[in-house]
Amino acid sequence: MASLAPFTHRFYIYSKPAQRGLNASFSEAPEEVSLMLDLSRLQSQFSDFGSYQVQEEAIREQRLRRAIQALRECRTAWEDLNDRARAANPKWLVGRAQESPDTTCPCGPRPTPITVVATDGSQIFPDRNIEPTCYLLNIGRIAFQYGTHERPLMESAPFFRYRSVDLEDHFDDVFETSTAEIVSALRDGLELEALLDVAESVRIAGRPIVAMADGTLIRWMVRRMHNRALEERLIARYTETLAGFRNQGIPVCSYISMPNGTEVVNLLRVFLGDTDDAGEESIKGLVDRKIFECTLGIGERSAIFESSSHIQQDYGEDRICFFYVHVASERGGAEIGRVEIPLWVAGDASLVDMVHAVILSECEKGDGYPVILSEAHQQAVVRARERDIFYEMVDGAVTRVGLAAFGSRKAASKRTPRV
Amino acid sequence: MIPTGKLMHQRIAEIVESCTNQFVAEVSRGAEIPAFGSWVHVPTPDGREVYAVVSHVEIGSIEPGRRAVAFGKTTDELRKEMPHVLELLRTTFRAQVLAFKDARGVLRQTLPPFPADIHGFVYPCTEDQVRVLGSPYDFLRMLARNADPAVPVDELLVVIFNQIRKAGGTREAVVEAGRVIGRLFNDDHERLQSILRRID
Repeated sequence: MASLAPFTHRFYIYSKPAQRGLNASFSEAPEEVSLMLDLSRLQSQFSDFGSYQVQEEAIREQRLRRAIQALRECRTAWEDLNDRARAANPKWLVGRAQESPDTTCPCGPRPTPITVVATDGSQIFPDRNIEPTCYLLNIGRIAFQYGTHERPLMESAPFFRYRSVDLEDHFDDVFETSTAEIVSALRDGLELEALLDVAESVRIAGRPIVAMADGTLIRWMVRRMHNRALEERLIARYTETLAGFRNQGIPVCSYISMPNGTEVVNLLRVFLGDTDDAGEESIKGLVDRKIFECTLGIGERSAIFESSSHIQQDYGEDRICFFYVHVASERGGAEIGRVEIPLWVAGDASLVDMVHAVILSECEKGDGYPVILSEAHQQAVVRARERDIFYEMVDGAVTRVGLAAFGSRKAASKRTPRV
Repeated sequence: MIPTGKLMHQRIAEIVESCTNQFVAEVSRGAEIPAFGSWVHVPTPDGREVYAVVSHVEIGSIEPGRRAVAFGKTTDELRKEMPHVLELLRTTFRAQVLAFKDARGVLRQTLPPFPADIHGFVYPCTEDQVRVLGSPYDFLRMLARNADPAVPVDELLVVIFNQIRKAGGTREAVVEAGRVIGRLFNDDHERLQSILRRID
């Protein structure tokens, strides 16, 4: 125990002298707060931190300058560059340019009236400590008829899941492998299905429509499950829904705030002949966002690139493309967002313009983030109190039919931690 | 102030809080907000009816965690471009219970034995109903003696008195209501003058 002593830092907080008075007795112990963090030892480790950051910043700036220069230089040979990237087949994900990579497009006016729909989901993960095994997916659904006085659709729909309801033959997989990842993948699938469903139900003939999802349309997560059959089932479902948008002619897009993608940087690395051991000369470590912060004016979008994720092989005609956009909020903030669209949307200039305009308008109204996605999230989110009620309902349903509840989550959560 | 025609039979709100002497009701979407001081009534399936006067109207966010903020847009612009904002607002009003009709249909100017039903529907009173709420005006005394400082008693008395006139009450009825108010404040001349000055 003695070795712990140096790490304990004690702070004494004295009350104000005016309140203590002259006759304060010595038995009045000051309020004591113990911290386990040894601040003096920590402070000494900060001495080189600042200078290291200055050095790193200089390297980052240099990388950024090289990358921006490469973006401009590859303009004339971008189609060859795509071929070179394919031939080189590097380990990194390389975006495939659909137009000159240094393209910048200003935003046109958003059509009005226009229908914009969005969904978002949340979940109560299955809990191994709770019997019977079940989980909940909750999907928020929003439809705005902009430019009209029509009432918006704002609702959430819960989906209670247990064996015999969803993925029956794969239900055990949900619990044998990574539970959170599979439930998240099921939720992603359900979000997209709900998006198509809402879009179809609120669509008005002759009025343009855009369907918007949160995050990525590329199901990276699914490939990490190490369960081939389940992965394929999930991907097949997902691509079937994507095809539904195409068949219905409903342009779908997704929005990623503060994206960390490097597919454009990786394309430029191919252009520069950059290798993993290129040292400081390499532009490795840079994210796409940083480049477009410098090259895109407020409101402009970048060129469109096709993602080269392996999972895309199963996407067929609905392979996912993306562009970056410099969004601004009405309150003055600006950031680079990533917009993903299927190939068929990317190939239609008028649809790209419409998605671009809708995203910008959404971000302006939503303080830098699409307001419709914020509202979909608000509808979807399951609060702690609601989670307790959910488990009470599970308990109630089980005890009503004469079975013993294994123990409610609520009771467990109320147990006080012990020392 | 007193609705006429088609509107008078339409429900305007639903009770979300209720106790013996007052209730809070949420105004139905698209319904007209009842004016301060107007009479409303809440019928129950067994034929009873609670009568109350709107004493406070409030417009705010539906969700406790969200606050209304300034957007710099007109209502029309908000409706067209930020439709969720108006969707997330709700109007509630508080009403002071001042009379009730018992199961036999007898109107009594006192507190009912039971509060108005929670989730009960609220309707605006017609001119006829307001006229019936007449002599001996005991409800004016109930209101004037209200101990709740949040209830603006004097202002309510002004509006109620004006309604008695507008509902086409006889001259005698109006004079009697005036006398009741006079007697209520005969020990507070300033207050009485202040109320009388504001009567139309």
